[in-house]
Amino acid sequence: MRTIYFYFTTLLLLVFLSYLFIDPNFHPLKEIYSGFAFSHKALVSYAYVFLVVVSFMLYLRILKMFKNKKLNKAQAIGIISGSAVVLFFSYPAMLSYDIFNYLTTARVLYHYGENPYLVMPIEFIGDQNLLFTHAANKFALYGPSWIGITAVPYFLGLGNTVLEIIGFKFLNVLFYALSLFLILRISKDYYRVLFFGLNPLVLIETLLSGHNDIVMMFFALLAFYFIKERRSAFSLLFIVVSILIKYATVFLLPLYAYLEYLNLRKRNINWDKIFTSASCSMMLVFFLSFIREEIYPWYAIWFFIFASLTHNKFLRGLSLVLTLFLLFRYVPFMYTGSHFGSTPIIKTVIIIVPVVVYVFYYFTRLKRMLGKW
Amino acid sequence: MAYKKILKLKVKNLLILFAIAAFFLLILKPSFASSPYVLPYPSSMPGSSIYKFHLIYEKLSEFKYFGDFGRYKYNLRYADKYLVEAKTLFEYNQYLLGYKALEKSNIYFEKIRPSLQSASINSKNISEKNITLSQAAEKHEEILESMKINTPTTFNWQPEKSSPTVLSIHELIGKSIMIRKNK
Repeated sequence: MRTIYFYFTTLLLLVFLSYLFIDPNFHPLKEIYSGFAFSHKALVSYAYVFLVVVSFMLYLRILKMFKNKKLNKAQAIGIISGSAVVLFFSYPAMLSYDIFNYLTTARVLYHYGENPYLVMPIEFIGDQNLLFTHAANKFALYGPSWIGITAVPYFLGLGNTVLEIIGFKFLNVLFYALSLFLILRISKDYYRVLFFGLNPLVLIETLLSGHNDIVMMFFALLAFYFIKERRSAFSLLFIVVSILIKYATVFLLPLYAYLEYLNLRKRNINWDKIFTSASCSMMLVFFLSFIREEIYPWYAIWFFIFASLTHNKFLRGLSLVLTLFLLFRYVPFMYTGSHFGSTPIIKTVIIIVPVVVYVFYYFTRLKRMLGKW
Repeated sequence: MAYKKILKLKVKNLLILFAIAAFFLLILKPSFASSPYVLPYPSSMPGSSIYKFHLIYEKLSEFKYFGDFGRYKYNLRYADKYLVEAKTLFEYNQYLLGYKALEKSNIYFEKIRPSLQSASINSKNISEKNITLSQAAEKHEEILESMKINTPTTFNWQPEKSSPTVLSIHELIGKSIMIRKNK
């Protein structure tokens, strides 16, 4: 039980840390703005690294405890629910300002009645959201499915920025829970639910930062689930919805078409291979995302959700390594306060070195094992 | 002596340089303040196979440009497009087509102001849009003035199987300028 206590303490400290990052222009929380993270960059960077490392160690420990039956299913659900509740109260723009972009894009459509693909938020001179929105000079970056979904938290917010953000965070909690439920329905294995649901990257990017990747991946997984259930129409609908959230799942279409083909021919489907391929496809997009902009940590959710459903040890190990080190990509900026200078190089090294080391280690060990045989 | 020769040569070169510079300065046309607004490149022209698709797209995209700012952008975009089209067609002596394009440009331009008024009623700050519109109107006027120089006052359009029509080109250009002035 000590592990669980430490685990929740770590999450609570992370929530506390998040409030040190309140943007000076975020007027709804100006009463509790301290500017601490901007004046004590080194200290908050060390604290962040410490919390990420500890939460990752505790995550692996909880997984081991569950495997060794030291945790039962009810406790597992309790830990997941508790994590969601604790992180729900975190300040969302600690590591990324995307939640503000979602909010302001929704405002362009639902408040001003303008097409967010043609009118930028910055065109609404004097709008208070412009003070803290960082991509106000861009047209809507996400697909129509996402903009449609954002109507719910936007209108539930009743024009209050804090309530709207709470709405967005609640939306993410909902899709996080639905994704876990789906993983359980597909795998019928609580270990996989914990493997995905308690991963610090998944928790931070979904429940703290409130990124919409979980929504896109939920619908993609739902499409696969409905193929499994031989309900092609629903499956097609949900893969389209998924693509129209952030477009990345368009790379699942070849695999999806192959699945539909197997389904039509009534052939047996090796789902383990399918999820491995899906994870690999999304990992490929993930690695190629530097062409468009850069590799963002939350993109890991794309492949990690499928990796949690496979038995492929290499892929799962690689996914774990990536999810840990991707969280360190925030550190150079947090420490220096600059996106330039050595920051981009360090961010690249943070990804490449662990991946190379892991691949080298894995295959050396495999060679040694094969040699023994 | 050699020093004087070199000095003379240098002065001579300098005078030649001044003469060339003065020549270019004299032949340059007087320039007026021009608008920083940039018009689009000419798109497909009437008669081209894709022109019809462009017309369909124009109609369909009307739905995409909803909202006050959306309408503003749509009308300005097509006012620009048809002005450039008219200018290009007049340059190729396609007076009837150019005339029609300019009429379309006017229709779109006249719709810009109401969309901004509507935005203002809906509490949207239109100050920057107003500046852009003034610059666009100024650029349009520049183009229209140049059109006036390069086009005949009237043109007698003689279709094959119907009665001829007189196109009052300068009258239309004058009206177009007035529309831009009354923006």
